[in-house]
Amino acid sequence: MLPLTLLNTSQGHPMLVELKSGETLNGHLVNCDAWMNLTLKEVVQTNSDGTRFFRLPECYVRGNNIKYLRVPDEVLDIAREKNQQQREEQRKSNQPQRGGYNRQYSSGGQRGGYNRNRGGGNVGRGGGQFQRGGRGTQY
Amino acid sequence: MENTDPSLLPSIIFTTAAQLVDCVDKKLLVVLRDGRKLIGILRSFDQYANLVLQDTIERIIVESMYSDIQRGVYIVRGENVVLVGEIVTFDLLLTYFNSKDPEKENSIPLKEVSLDEIYAAQQDEIDNRRRRELTKNSKLIDIGFSIDTQQEDMY
Repeated sequence: MLPLTLLNTSQGHPMLVELKSGETLNGHLVNCDAWMNLTLKEVVQTNSDGTRFFRLPECYVRGNNIKYLRVPDEVLDIAREKNQQQREEQRKSNQPQRGGYNRQYSSGGQRGGYNRNRGGGNVGRGGGQFQRGGRGTQY
Repeated sequence: MENTDPSLLPSIIFTTAAQLVDCVDKKLLVVLRDGRKLIGILRSFDQYANLVLQDTIERIIVESMYSDIQRGVYIVRGENVVLVGEIVTFDLLLTYFNSKDPEKENSIPLKEVSLDEIYAAQQDEIDNRRRRELTKNSKLIDIGFSIDTQQEDMY
């Protein structure tokens, strides 16, 4: 699964965010988006020397300031599981359509189908996710 | 068989980050702009070269000493990556160094030391760099240059 998918999966989990400035934020991920902007809650902020600590009930991080994130090991497994599930659901819902009305020019299905067939490229996937109506199921 | 897995990227679309396809599930050394060296297994990446590393260790290297810290899972933002390289197994390295210098039995250049030692050495290095920087800056100012206060890359 892609890095940002993993980040999505980390919602609700504790994580460590290091900013480019060297400051670190320890907190629970509340939300994130495609730009890696984050909202965290119950945060402990540390200055770049690691000498001072601040407790913040919540905070927002603009993605471009991030150096890296450290997430708990379990999150990888959870993400992998979700990915597997999603793929199976997709296979179930899509297989009958393949080569069926998807290939013929029926309006709605055609779009998503095209994107999906480009297979996993980021652009294609994005389209695919909408087509699945998967926003809800994804997170 | 190919492209049945939707999580695999078609390598044709991307010309640059796509080269990482070959590195997936391999043990890599990742150097960040702040000079950090991460060693971990690459699990995934995207078009920005954002990386997911599993079972990562951070290796601090100062001169010929090094020390490892267990870190776990990283999501590295691509911007901060300087280089990504696959790690050759230790045995191969050993033969390489020995063949280059058959006189010396064990010529692996780095020696593992304790965390405390490495932190001390690292601090020394930082202090030295800062001192050098200060001297350099004052000399530059003497001959009429203005000084850029932006921190330089540390790698």
